[in-house]
Amino acid sequence: MKKNNLKKLLATTLTLALGAATLTGCGSASAKDGSAEQTSSEAPAAQEQSTDKVYRTLDEIKESGEINIGVFSDKNPFGYVDENGEYQGYDVYFANKLGEDLGVKINFVSTEAASRVEYLETGKVDIVLANFTVTEERAEKVDFALPYMNVALGVVSPKANVIKDLSEIKPDDQVIVISGTTAETYLEKNYPDIKLQKFDTYATAKTSFENGTGVAWANDNTEVIAYAIENEGYEVGIPSLGSQDTIAPAVSKGNTTLLDWINGEIETLGKENFFHADYEATLIDTYGKDYEETLVVEGGKVADAAEASSDASSASSEDAGAAASDAEASTEASSAQ
Amino acid sequence: MNLDVIISYIPLYIEAFFLTIRIGWLGILFALAIGLVVAFIMHFKIPFLSGIALVYIELFRNTPLLVQLFFIYFGLPKVGLSISAETCGFVGLGLLGGSYMAEVFRSGLESVPNSQTESALALGLSRKQLFLSVILPQAISQSVPGILANVIFLLKETSVFSAISLMDLMFTAKDLIGLYYDTKEALFLLVIFYIIMLLPVSVIGSFIEKKARFRTLGV
Repeated sequence: MKKNNLKKLLATTLTLALGAATLTGCGSASAKDGSAEQTSSEAPAAQEQSTDKVYRTLDEIKESGEINIGVFSDKNPFGYVDENGEYQGYDVYFANKLGEDLGVKINFVSTEAASRVEYLETGKVDIVLANFTVTEERAEKVDFALPYMNVALGVVSPKANVIKDLSEIKPDDQVIVISGTTAETYLEKNYPDIKLQKFDTYATAKTSFENGTGVAWANDNTEVIAYAIENEGYEVGIPSLGSQDTIAPAVSKGNTTLLDWINGEIETLGKENFFHADYEATLIDTYGKDYEETLVVEGGKVADAAEASSDASSASSEDAGAAASDAEASTEASSAQ
Repeated sequence: MNLDVIISYIPLYIEAFFLTIRIGWLGILFALAIGLVVAFIMHFKIPFLSGIALVYIELFRNTPLLVQLFFIYFGLPKVGLSISAETCGFVGLGLLGGSYMAEVFRSGLESVPNSQTESALALGLSRKQLFLSVILPQAISQSVPGILANVIFLLKETSVFSAISLMDLMFTAKDLIGLYYDTKEALFLLVIFYIIMLLPVSVIGSFIEKKARFRTLGV
């Protein structure tokens, strides 16, 4: 009798396990269908009824009257929620402009760094505007529009123990990164010996860094520079690491109608110097005037880095030290390219 | 699904698997210890202590593990008490589990009929004998199903450890998705490894459940 029961139990659990396996199987099958659909998305026939297509075309978005845009909610000053519960920041300012010009209502969706690609692959958002650095790996999964910002990696550490070179990191020391960021990928690939302490949100990484669980925090240099400016006792020891990259809006792979519209929009906005206005509205309090030319990409055209850096170094300010080091960094980067 | 990707991920999952198991079981042992002590305090209505026990149970049963971990990991360092992420994980799990285990043990103790105590005393057993050989065995065998359910519940709760930078199974999967975007493979392995971790617990658990029942009640 007892044996019988045990057998029954085993049978049930096995069935359940198999069921789970089949479920994941189904998921992958439909995902494949989705990607097949995407590659042949040039054919506009039967677009309306197709349930496999994950993304919404420009017309579908306009028709629905709403657009879903994935932004950060905890990355001040690029995408964050202010004390009134409103989304704010450089990315959000741009998102609002897109919504206005499309004539639709914006639903902001708060994303984590590691799930940005997922959100697009499953069509849960139409556009990701979450300080998304353009990389080759990501470009295989999503379509990037024209860039609107420059970025590199940076490392911030406490003034008491500034890390100016990654070789100064001792074997037992841990470096804080955020899961799914370019900083994580870069360090995993190029410095596999450095122990990483990974967090899934900006907020937790910051708190942990303040608590001193890691010797340094590696992230986009924009982020670490802002952190050092806003918090006493921290210094950006390494202002530029790895290659100079750009940040761009991203849409689901194959969503050409939306992509083309965004590209057109970025070019048009370039003529009215929109992103400079964006910088002055959202970033100037954090970075001051000095970084404007280094950071902003206008009209989708990446400015000559040498020109941008000479701009930055000629600017005189209280923060000249940081500005100069950043200018140095970008000249280095440009000569490296 | 790409088999090469799956194979290349397996070592990372195995590492995460052992970390999850290590912290999970440490937490469960801690929870059992807390649960027993608190249940005795409640059952014998020890003055003052039973008040504290009640507050403890209600506090930890009614807050999510994530909140407790945030408090221990991010909150305590602000008042100068810094503990490692692993310690944090099993202490948090133990405190949460303890509140559930305490209720299971307490109901076990209360399920032993009064006639058992009366008969034992009538036969001339001492208080110690009464408790250790009459009440406790019956109480524990009554508690086994509840303990088992809690063990599985606690092992699954480990999936929120990612918030405090512990590379458990869940975080490993999320991290790999963020790094390489092989979503299907990463999620498939995640399901498989959770089943590998929990299926034996279910099977062995129900076996123990039957044994314990048979030993004490003979049915």
